[in-house]
Amino acid sequence: MRRTVALVLLAGTATGVGLCAAATALFAAGSGLAPRVALWGVLALFVTPPLRLAAVAHGFAAERRPRLALAALAVLGVLLFVGARAVAGRL
Amino acid sequence: MTALLLVLVGCAGGLFGALMGVGGGLVIIPVLTHVVGLRFSQGVAISLAAIIVSSSASSASYVEKGIADIRTGVVLELATVAGAIAASALAPYVPLPALLVLFAAVAWYTALASWRRRGHGGEGMAAGEYPVRRWGTGLAMSFGAGAASGLIGVGGGFLKVPAMSLVMGLPFKVATATSNFMIGVTAAASAYVYAARGELELSVAAPTVVGVYAGARLGSALLPRIPSARLQGAFAAVLALIGLRVALDAWGLVR
Repeated sequence: MRRTVALVLLAGTATGVGLCAAATALFAAGSGLAPRVALWGVLALFVTPPLRLAAVAHGFAAERRPRLALAALAVLGVLLFVGARAVAGRL
Repeated sequence: MTALLLVLVGCAGGLFGALMGVGGGLVIIPVLTHVVGLRFSQGVAISLAAIIVSSSASSASYVEKGIADIRTGVVLELATVAGAIAASALAPYVPLPALLVLFAAVAWYTALASWRRRGHGGEGMAAGEYPVRRWGTGLAMSFGAGAASGLIGVGGGFLKVPAMSLVMGLPFKVATATSNFMIGVTAAASAYVYAARGELELSVAAPTVVGVYAGARLGSALLPRIPSARLQGAFAAVLALIGLRVALDAWGLVR
């Protein structure tokens, strides 16, 4: 499980930070693409914690530790609910 | 020039967060508000995004090396989320200044306790190789960390690290690594709300998170090499500063 969780965290942050680094260069160059690239970078960063929770829940389920898997799923549910409510408030 | 400053500030915040298990807001927010000229709420929004990056980047390393205690972290996350929900439901009815004074008092008390007990708990860095005790108090403190997060927009690491290291018996480095593992989730919930309100200034956020990533990776590489007693002493000083910051907030002297 540790390897999978670490990979999810690393992939999420590397993607998000890579896009943010590209956006920083585009902002400096005055490109109109910069806000869009930065937005995608931030979105990649924002989905990393829920993906990490899903990986942890899957890992505990695979190790036959259902209560810990449920705990991770409960936190994931709350996080998704808060995210959905925030987006709904924006729409 | 501003982008370079933001990368450097982010790097300092990420390094600080990875080593202490707290968000880098104490470093990042003052620069964003006083130097870059953002509103406080915009500074908080970028600080929350920075906490997600710092937490994810450093805990990727801590999880792989077996320093972060995933089991303890997941259980405490439940209490943290419950605290954040309770706080958001009760926020309109509670006297915020009184709560801030309470948080400041807790921060100073734990600063003193951390300072007195620095060096205790040894240099252990292997998650799971110790008996975890006093779950009730640890869960209550995590609930408080969640409530603090919901009420004043912090990651809550300033309560989670002492809960794990001073109360539950985790070695200090395991506690900071596990706190790092947890605070990204706590920060994400608040970050969604701030971002949906349009508070996230992308041109400032982008260079800041690049710096935070670099600082967090550096911090996670340095953590095993720094003696626990030194880290605990620095953590106590940081807690005292957080207490001062929260107390000033209570009297309306900062924002």
